[in-house]
Amino acid sequence: MPTSREERWNVVPVALLMLDADSHVLDANAEFLGLVGGASAVEVVGRRLSELLTVGGRIFWDTHIAPLLRVDGRVDEVAVELRTHDGREPVLLSAVERVCEDHHVIEVAMFRARERARFEHELVGARRAAEASERRVRALHSTAADLASVAGRDGVAWVLLRAAVSTLGAGDAALWLVEDDAALRRWGGAEGIVGPAPEELTGTSTRSAGAVVVPLRVAGALLGVLVLEPRRAASADPLDPVVLAAAGQQAALALARAALHEQSVSVAAELQRAMLDGALTLDPRVEVAAEYRPGVHELQVGGDWYDSYRVAPGRLALSVGDVVGRGLGAATAMGQLRTASRAVADSRAGPEQVLDRLDRFVENTGTGFMASLVYAQLDLDEGLLHYACAGHLPPLHVRADGTSAFLWDARSTPLGVRTAEPRASAAVQLARGDVVVLYTDGIVESRDRDLQSGLEVLLGAATDALVGTVDPALGLGALAERLVADAPEHDDSCVLALRWSGEPAREAGPDVAAQRAK
Amino acid sequence: MAGGQRAGNPYADVVDVRARFNVQVVADVSVPTAPRRPTMVLAHGFGCAQSMWRFVVPAFTDTYRVVVFDHAGCGAADHSAYDPERHATLDGYAADLIEIVEAVADGPVTLVGHSVSSMIAVLVATARPDLVERLVLVSPSPRYIDDAGYRGGFTAQEIDELLETMDANYLGWSQVMAPVIAGNPDRPGVGDELADYFSRADPDAARRFARATFLGDNRADLGRVRTPTLVVQSRVDPIAPAEVGQYVHEHLPHSELVTIDSFGHCPNLSHPDLVVAAMRGWLEES
Repeated sequence: MPTSREERWNVVPVALLMLDADSHVLDANAEFLGLVGGASAVEVVGRRLSELLTVGGRIFWDTHIAPLLRVDGRVDEVAVELRTHDGREPVLLSAVERVCEDHHVIEVAMFRARERARFEHELVGARRAAEASERRVRALHSTAADLASVAGRDGVAWVLLRAAVSTLGAGDAALWLVEDDAALRRWGGAEGIVGPAPEELTGTSTRSAGAVVVPLRVAGALLGVLVLEPRRAASADPLDPVVLAAAGQQAALALARAALHEQSVSVAAELQRAMLDGALTLDPRVEVAAEYRPGVHELQVGGDWYDSYRVAPGRLALSVGDVVGRGLGAATAMGQLRTASRAVADSRAGPEQVLDRLDRFVENTGTGFMASLVYAQLDLDEGLLHYACAGHLPPLHVRADGTSAFLWDARSTPLGVRTAEPRASAAVQLARGDVVVLYTDGIVESRDRDLQSGLEVLLGAATDALVGTVDPALGLGALAERLVADAPEHDDSCVLALRWSGEPAREAGPDVAAQRAK
Repeated sequence: MAGGQRAGNPYADVVDVRARFNVQVVADVSVPTAPRRPTMVLAHGFGCAQSMWRFVVPAFTDTYRVVVFDHAGCGAADHSAYDPERHATLDGYAADLIEIVEAVADGPVTLVGHSVSSMIAVLVATARPDLVERLVLVSPSPRYIDDAGYRGGFTAQEIDELLETMDANYLGWSQVMAPVIAGNPDRPGVGDELADYFSRADPDAARRFARATFLGDNRADLGRVRTPTLVVQSRVDPIAPAEVGQYVHEHLPHSELVTIDSFGHCPNLSHPDLVVAAMRGWLEES
């Protein structure tokens, strides 16, 4: 039975080493020699401890452990791996530095730590997984929010490319969208990003250089392909195909939704155009021009309309209105209301009666509730204009003598909103050459100015243009175009302008080409 | 930090930089010097904090204002100083160091970098030669991984192993292990500070810093340095071997190489007297 301290150095179940200040091995016990695979003391003594460690441990020793020992004199429970004959042996290492006969020496103790290493490895893995999962959720959440904020396919494409770089960890990205003719159209990304090969269209895959290819599919149909390049910085994390595949699913759905949306937008726009496309009634005693532009707001058409038609041989009806809402619903409601206003108008009914009848139409059908409109009838021979405004902005009267004014009389509530006050109409006598402008609120309303200043701008612009203080006087068509072009872009804008001459115009043909909505 | 505060206090930026990077300025004012003391900034390397310089700092406080700090994500630097994007490459650390130098000194400084900070210092000197009068690089390596015609000492696979080892010590980097490291009866008062840096180091930041350090390549930057430079090389350095020190010296246009008789990658800790002597000799000469 070993009793001396000397003997115990070799029988304790702990690997022990004594090192000099520069960590050369001065002595090693039997347990340590066994740990490194039965080496003899001669093979070990004189070598630096870091040489007996794996490379990772070597660097860790020189960058962390040795400095700590020097400053602090002690380290505990550091995990490193010893190089052994048949691989590596994870150990936990504790060490102290002490002074022995005027020399600094380092005493080292090591325990096998295979079990602990595995356990810690699992812990680290679990924590990594939790962190990665949190990062994924955050990235997907942010991408989904971005994708939800855009309407068209263009918008989805750019948002996706931005999200690829900002939240999905790519250094660069390019997108290929499948067009109507089945061709792939490229969006963004540096030239160096190579397009998808046919075999890359089935599922998310990673190329050898780390790029990830994500086919965007909905119900099996290919809508596009996203190719992401990893960041080049040495410390950048590699791309995560799992999160990219999930983001790809979100993007595919957004693309499908955008395509549907664009289709419905184009149907609504088509419908609106078709409904406004009828010829304006022409008469040698008047000149009429109209212009319509859909707003850019959410890419959806609104429910603005204009119309002019004859209610009696000598009487012309004019209307400009605005149905609440956007898209297909608004466009169809507009069509019904516009048709209804033609149907209920006749030679005996004044504007206030037409509004009354439209109220009844709205009450009976539910269509066009809260729609606003200005309705007017002009006596083509006498130039007397009867008008009424149901919740609508006042017509603008630009006189041939260069003065102008809004017609603020005969105002009442929007359609379908009855009050104790009966609908009323007012009349104004036009002089030859006078112009009346009917318009919707898109012409004058803007986020950055109030209605009053919007009206002033319209009055100034119309008066200057017609009277020609700066430029030669504009024709009515050009006036309508200019007013619409100058309107704030976010909303539908619609203008109908009429000039009364009271006598046959010199060149009026029976059927001059109609003004078309734009 | 806040814009409003900045407007009111012209020093708010400076104060902010000092707080963010735990900047300490040490000067022995009892020693008379010229009207304006020159400034020496010491930048610590990977795996360390400013306490790495604790045996070197006292040697220069009589003639210099000596400035030490903690890199973002290291030691007691403010948590908010670290940004994974900014610090994905050494350029982010160099930008930090430029801010620090501008905040602590009026004129150009003597910039001393250890290990990876020697390359950060090289980046500072090339980007802002007006800020750096002299460079001292202790145990520098412009690239750790072998390359055609270049021997850095490691293969890419070996660097991966280092990252694994760092993972294995993941718990050691966290709060859990701090109490065991703290306290050493033989050297009272020394350990607390280091225990602090261990407990506070952000493991993710350390891991990324390891990647930025060991996977980077700054060889091309050496030729752009116009600042007089001293390269201090350990005779035996398993991380940055002597031939790497020679390479650095040969590719720095105005450099002097001093090899000191020391072992290991951190001579500033293990052989501070040799490092100080090498620096003194060169600084007095130049």
